[in-house]
Amino acid sequence: MKKLLLSALLLVAGVPAFATPPDTAAVRIPPAARRVERPWYRPAHLALQTGGGLGMVAAGAGYEFSKTHLETDILIGYVPKYYAGSTLSLASLKFMYSPFHLPVGDKFQVVPLTVGAYFSYTHGTINDELKGQYASDYYWFSTDTRYGPLLGSRVTFLAPPVAATGQPRKISLYYELGSNDLYLASYLNNRNGGLGFGQLLTLALGIKADF
Amino acid sequence: MLPLTNLRRWRRVLPGIALLGLAGCNLIEFSPNDHRVPEEFTNLTEKNLAKLQARPLAAGDSLRFIFTGDSQQFYDEAEALVASVNQQPGISFLVVAGDISDFGLAREMQWVDEKLRRLTVPYVTVIGNHDLVGNGRPTYQHIFGAFNYSFVYGNTKFIMVDTNGREYNFDGTAPDMAWLKPQLANFDGARRQVVISHVPPTNDDFDPALRAPYVQALHEAPNLVFEMNGHNHSYSITQPYNDGVTYVNSDAFSERHYLVVTVWGDKQFRIKRVKF
Repeated sequence: MKKLLLSALLLVAGVPAFATPPDTAAVRIPPAARRVERPWYRPAHLALQTGGGLGMVAAGAGYEFSKTHLETDILIGYVPKYYAGSTLSLASLKFMYSPFHLPVGDKFQVVPLTVGAYFSYTHGTINDELKGQYASDYYWFSTDTRYGPLLGSRVTFLAPPVAATGQPRKISLYYELGSNDLYLASYLNNRNGGLGFGQLLTLALGIKADF
Repeated sequence: MLPLTNLRRWRRVLPGIALLGLAGCNLIEFSPNDHRVPEEFTNLTEKNLAKLQARPLAAGDSLRFIFTGDSQQFYDEAEALVASVNQQPGISFLVVAGDISDFGLAREMQWVDEKLRRLTVPYVTVIGNHDLVGNGRPTYQHIFGAFNYSFVYGNTKFIMVDTNGREYNFDGTAPDMAWLKPQLANFDGARRQVVISHVPPTNDDFDPALRAPYVQALHEAPNLVFEMNGHNHSYSITQPYNDGVTYVNSDAFSERHYLVVTVWGDKQFRIKRVKF
């Protein structure tokens, strides 16, 4: 992906880097090579989303691995008291795999399929288990910890790279359909169609900015 | 510029897109604990009681209702139950004795209502311990309504009371005796009383400090037909305190049985257990 972007940029700039043999006295350093080495902890992108069970608003940062095919996002979400009866804050971890990145012209890219999973912890629920309130196996499920699958896609706008560093920039809009362990358990316990699959789904809409 | 034909095509597609957008809004769940549901799934107790009062029982008719409990995750069973109950003649309403949901989540309560609203009679609920898990309190309040309430139908005052003491960590508030006692003292124009709650006083999940006062209050009630519970998932009719007060326990939806309860006279009753 980065290679593709780089060659596209070189072509646009009309740089004859590949057409002529390099002059050892004045080697042109391609912009990407000038990039300052990023510290390992610096995230690849920032993300902002609504829904998906992870907050009315959830914001955070993410890392990319394996040439952007693998991503991990860490989000902090918020649900106001008006909608949940108490103010909820959620910490979520998402893992995503996007096997295809399809270029659409020079400026856009479509990621038709992202599959993944999330894990979330909710702080602020009202009837949170107090010590000794229940026997250890009283409720088999956790009130605050949720996990579930994700499936989505996205459209990415490839902005011109940062001039000084050659750092590529991208802005993506995404949606994700998801569910959670409790909805899936309810579905699996009713094998005669008591629940429709569509009834389990949640939707998240979001934006991601690589920087 | 778009050609005119394209505009026309968009005009045809736009309502569809708007509809998808609306469906999308309901899909955008902030948290499983958020209780935003369409208006039709809110205030169900009040709405169902209004439906019930619109079909008053003829003077002299025996009162007949269906008693069940613990619908929880049993959606397949809920469908079968509705089909069976809709075949029963002469019934006025159905009672679910708590644990409407399994996880105290809004979607679950909506799913159960989607099944039970297909009944030909209205239904009423009392809150169960599972409905109080997590943010179940405001969720049940929003979707069904009050935790403690009463209504009169067919000469009978039904007193629905939250007895899920463990969910409040046995803080002495459930059952709310200050609410219950005056409810038992007053008939509101009925001739007999029925108390319905989720956790029976014989159970470990009943607030131990309130067990004796609760049992005593029922014993002293002027004309109590019986006290009815869920929670055990097991049908029984007993007098555990040998004080003349009858306690009826419902089957859960999972047990594929419900009770047809007929009440008449001063406080005579007959209970028939039906398999579905």
